[in-house]
Amino acid sequence: MKRIESRLNCASAEFQANSAHNRALAEAFRAMQHRARHQRPERDMERLRAQNKLFVRDRLKLLLDPGTPFLEFSSLAANEAYDGDVPGAALVTGIGIVAGREVVVNAGDASVKGGAWYPLTVKKIVRALDIAIENRLPVVHLCDSAGGFLPLQADLFADRYYAGRIFRNQSVLSKMGVQQVSIVLGHCTAGGAYVPGLSDYSVIVRGTGAIFLAGPPLVKAATGEDVTVDELGGADMHTSVSGTADYPASSEEEAIAIARDIVAQFNRREKARVEWQAPEAPYYDPQELYGVLPRDIKAQFDMHEVIARLVDGSRFHEYQPNYGKTLVCGYAHLWGYKIGILANNGVLFNDSSLKGAHFIELCNQNRTPILFLQNITGFMVGREYERRGITKDGAKMIMAVSCSEVPKFTVMCHGSFGAGNYGMSGRAFDSRFLFSWPQSQISVMGAEQAANTLAEVKIRQLARHGKQLTAAEIAAIRDPVVAEFRRKSSAYWSTSEIWDDGMLDPVDTRNALGIAISAALNTPIAEPRYGVFRM
Amino acid sequence: MNHAFKLGEAEYNLGLSRAAEGYRLHVGGRSLAVNLHRNDDGSAVLTLDGRSEPAVVAVRGDEVFVHLDGDSYALRYEHPLQRLAAQAHGSAEDQVRAPMPGSIVALHVEAGSSVARGDTLLVMESMKMETTLTAARDGVVESVHFAVGQSFDRDALLLELMARPEQGDAP
Amino acid sequence: MTIDNAGNAFAQVRERARRWPFGRVLIANRGEIALRILRTVQALGLEGVVVYHAADRHAPAVHAANQAVQITGATPVAAYLDADQIVRAALDSGAGAIHPGYGFLSENAGFARKVAAAGLAFVGPLPEQIELMGDKVRARAFVAAGGFPVAPSAIEDDDPASFAQRALAVGFPLLIKPAAGGGGKGMRIVRQAEALAREIERARSEGQRYFGDGRLYVERYVENPRHIEVQVLGDAHGNVVHLFERECSVQRRFQKIVEETPSPALDAATRARICDAAAGIARKAGYRNAGTVEFIFGTGSGDPVFYFLEMNTRLQVEHPVTEQITGKDLVLEQLRVAAGEPLGYSQAQISARGHAIEFRIYAEDPARGYTPTTGPVLALRLPEGEGVRVDSGIAQGQDVTAAFDPMLAKLIVTGADRAGAIARADRALAEFVLLGCKTNTGFLRRLLGHPAFVAGEIHTGFLDAHPEIAAEPELPPDTLHKLLAAAALSTRPLRDGADAVPDLHAAIGDWSN
Repeated sequence: MKRIESRLNCASAEFQANSAHNRALAEAFRAMQHRARHQRPERDMERLRAQNKLFVRDRLKLLLDPGTPFLEFSSLAANEAYDGDVPGAALVTGIGIVAGREVVVNAGDASVKGGAWYPLTVKKIVRALDIAIENRLPVVHLCDSAGGFLPLQADLFADRYYAGRIFRNQSVLSKMGVQQVSIVLGHCTAGGAYVPGLSDYSVIVRGTGAIFLAGPPLVKAATGEDVTVDELGGADMHTSVSGTADYPASSEEEAIAIARDIVAQFNRREKARVEWQAPEAPYYDPQELYGVLPRDIKAQFDMHEVIARLVDGSRFHEYQPNYGKTLVCGYAHLWGYKIGILANNGVLFNDSSLKGAHFIELCNQNRTPILFLQNITGFMVGREYERRGITKDGAKMIMAVSCSEVPKFTVMCHGSFGAGNYGMSGRAFDSRFLFSWPQSQISVMGAEQAANTLAEVKIRQLARHGKQLTAAEIAAIRDPVVAEFRRKSSAYWSTSEIWDDGMLDPVDTRNALGIAISAALNTPIAEPRYGVFRM
Repeated sequence: MNHAFKLGEAEYNLGLSRAAEGYRLHVGGRSLAVNLHRNDDGSAVLTLDGRSEPAVVAVRGDEVFVHLDGDSYALRYEHPLQRLAAQAHGSAEDQVRAPMPGSIVALHVEAGSSVARGDTLLVMESMKMETTLTAARDGVVESVHFAVGQSFDRDALLLELMARPEQGDAP
Repeated sequence: MTIDNAGNAFAQVRERARRWPFGRVLIANRGEIALRILRTVQALGLEGVVVYHAADRHAPAVHAANQAVQITGATPVAAYLDADQIVRAALDSGAGAIHPGYGFLSENAGFARKVAAAGLAFVGPLPEQIELMGDKVRARAFVAAGGFPVAPSAIEDDDPASFAQRALAVGFPLLIKPAAGGGGKGMRIVRQAEALAREIERARSEGQRYFGDGRLYVERYVENPRHIEVQVLGDAHGNVVHLFERECSVQRRFQKIVEETPSPALDAATRARICDAAAGIARKAGYRNAGTVEFIFGTGSGDPVFYFLEMNTRLQVEHPVTEQITGKDLVLEQLRVAAGEPLGYSQAQISARGHAIEFRIYAEDPARGYTPTTGPVLALRLPEGEGVRVDSGIAQGQDVTAAFDPMLAKLIVTGADRAGAIARADRALAEFVLLGCKTNTGFLRRLLGHPAFVAGEIHTGFLDAHPEIAAEPELPPDTLHKLLAAAALSTRPLRDGADAVPDLHAAIGDWSN
């Protein structure tokens, strides 16, 4: 496997301008992420202290093994929703190391709206548990939630992927033999009560932790019974009378220590075997990624330069280097793991689509996880390409992606437009993990193109009624459409909506993927089987 | 990071993690590259931040004895579950430990005895000197771990107190 | 100069020893001294028998002895004090002599008589000599009668009417003590005659209050007193020599910690005076065997003064420093005297060379008021090298218990001069490894680095005057980190926890997106 030879001129004005631009984007992302993680109204923090509760980030520090990485999911979830009042969707999820074991952490953040469940909170929990199911990762739940946010109950309660899915996923995990431990650090009321209830192990903090289907006020209203929190669902009652919880703890610190000891009892299973060799840092500095990425979403760049800054030793075995060159395919190692890479170097033509489908089949045949690096404007359009069957060739690629059995990982590097999003394993195609870079965009078509299309329809409508529009009137129609389209195609929107597992500073991508691949290998890789490829 | 060691009277919280090479010690907000190679005879090579030096290390239960740079030290490991449970059971005052090795001369209380602050709990003898141990607070004797005549080492847990149950608790 | 058990002279003694009245020697002691005595006994071609209590069954002396006899007692110490049991053990094992070591039965005249009555040789003085020196009042009178210096004093009881007058004659400074007192209570130092009457009244009322007895006693007070003692040797033929002095001023709670020879306090003339006085006292007593005459020494008002304190009629703990500078094996000399041999050399033939210091390694915590410590000996490494001698009675695997005296071993360093010995001592103490039970080696290193000790400005109150030596110094952060690292890496839950982390995550380390 030979080293990619970078053709990048790091001294060029273009590189420097890109670098400054993308560094600023990364810094803005980090600043926003820092606010979402740590910035809380003082009264909320004060309330936690008054309740003798730790801030969720401090709980995580106690929970996770020191000196180990934590891959946080969707740190900016809900950031564009609910007027930005529910940072991180009142929840921290991610993959961390507890007692040497890879686990999914699902930690309610009571410093945000008392940890109330908003629709996106539910979506984020369900996604975290999906990750646990797909990758067979044990789960540690840190339960501290005020319960469902009632004004939005219709958007979080009943549908297939709403709150019920949390408990369904917990049950499925249990059926699969993937263990869960709950640490009850606050009240688990109503549905929330089932989180510890459906865990294999639960620890509850005396005084602050409680589990009940209805709290004292509701009980009073329903039956007239007067009962205290402790009597109704406190630590001692549940661990000595009801058996709903297993271990009483006298402090959060003790509860977390007990939970760590419980996780230490989990058997570690053999992982799926893939090719592996001792890891090697990339030869090219990942910091140079900032200079690789263009400032304009429509500008093209060479994905080889990105691959060179992600993979071990910057070494890459390129498959079909001279065929279907708009899709770069090949093998590399990342943190030691052998992976197959599909990366866009332009629009998908018939040949590049066929090459992609073929390469996905190869990776499945030789049990090699696949990394998709997206920068795609879509499949080629036009009479010539339709005549050559661009649709059926694209369908082959989508079929191969959909039926792939090896774990897939997707990074939204730049543009992701049209059906290219699908062919390159977009969110709907069950990549085990999907991350976005800050400047990336997703939409069914480009913003300008879409806005023009929408404005055109409007203008023609008005013209039919004999109206001639001035340039200013056209702009007044067009500009809001463009703005709305831009907003909803930005990576901040997609990460807020949890269309991904979080936004990444490009330089963090290698570590994030290493942790993701390691996690994915907890699930055995099945033999590949496909549907019917339209030939 | 809830592991701790006691060195003398001081308690240090720390964590240990593995690095690509060797280990990292997490203490006081710092992370230090460390390693220790122990031979069967107890001799060892200790490395901190890339500098190595010889040491002798012996372990007995939760005690770690280290001879380093001409002096010997004893550190006592406190398992997080024990330490945190002990914290939960009230202050360390509730655990009456032997100030020095010796034996019990007289026991003034038994499990269940109610005591007031300053009450004599037991009399011990060490080096032909009698020492009286008293209750640090009001409470109830939870357990007594040694009988008259039995001897013990320093820091042995002799007796445990607990809070007095509150008045009026329903049976 | 070190003791040489391989030389020509020793070979001759060894040859003669074959005809000694005893061929087996029972050692009625334990610890380092049992092993020390055994070494000479066996070097002479004699056989050594040790008695031991079960608590000592793993002690090196038990393994090294030709025969070991277990003794029992209500307590371990009681076993070693059981004269009848020990004499019986000697007879049963066929020993012809008993060496009592120090402590236990070594200054018990009754035991010496029982040994003799059983037809065994007692490696020590005659019972009468033990009795004389064991009675502090008789010993003092005996010494004073010989014209040797004793601290001027006056006892009120002798003649209450003339007490104040006689007290004045003692000279200043003086110390008033309650006759019934102890532990320093009610003691008053008086430096001027004018204050005497007033202080006597105060001391009397304090004595009355503390002890219900107002009778008093005065003696000359020595400011910053030093403890200087002289090693003497006498044989059964009337020959007595001294082997120079030892200074044992560094003490805690009246127990010696560091002993050295020669004393940095003595000039040649004073040394000659004090050594001659000691030899004279022994000679007057017709002393046989090794003994030590202890003096209190001071230079308070200018001229050095020394007063007889007491005489120990046995081998001293600190005898090795004398051996190191004189080349005489004191146990060998004791055995020769017990076998009836004459010393065979005169005072003029005894010379000393170099400087030797002994450090007592105690199982104790100086920072906690020197309270004894206990624990298993998990690791033991003794220092070695030129000028380094360790007399130790412990072995790895043994337990240090509260049953016995906390002294574990003695480190004896010898150098060409005092500075050389101190430098050697620092290195040797640093290399003295005993893990499992706290010892005072760190304290001893702080002590020998103290400027006052380096300057030889020591006295029996030295450690009280410098409490910083006993205090545990604050650890430099670097040392603390090393210790925590060593401890963490040696503790299974911590190391296992770190090792359990998968390679990938260990390599990525502390990272988050």
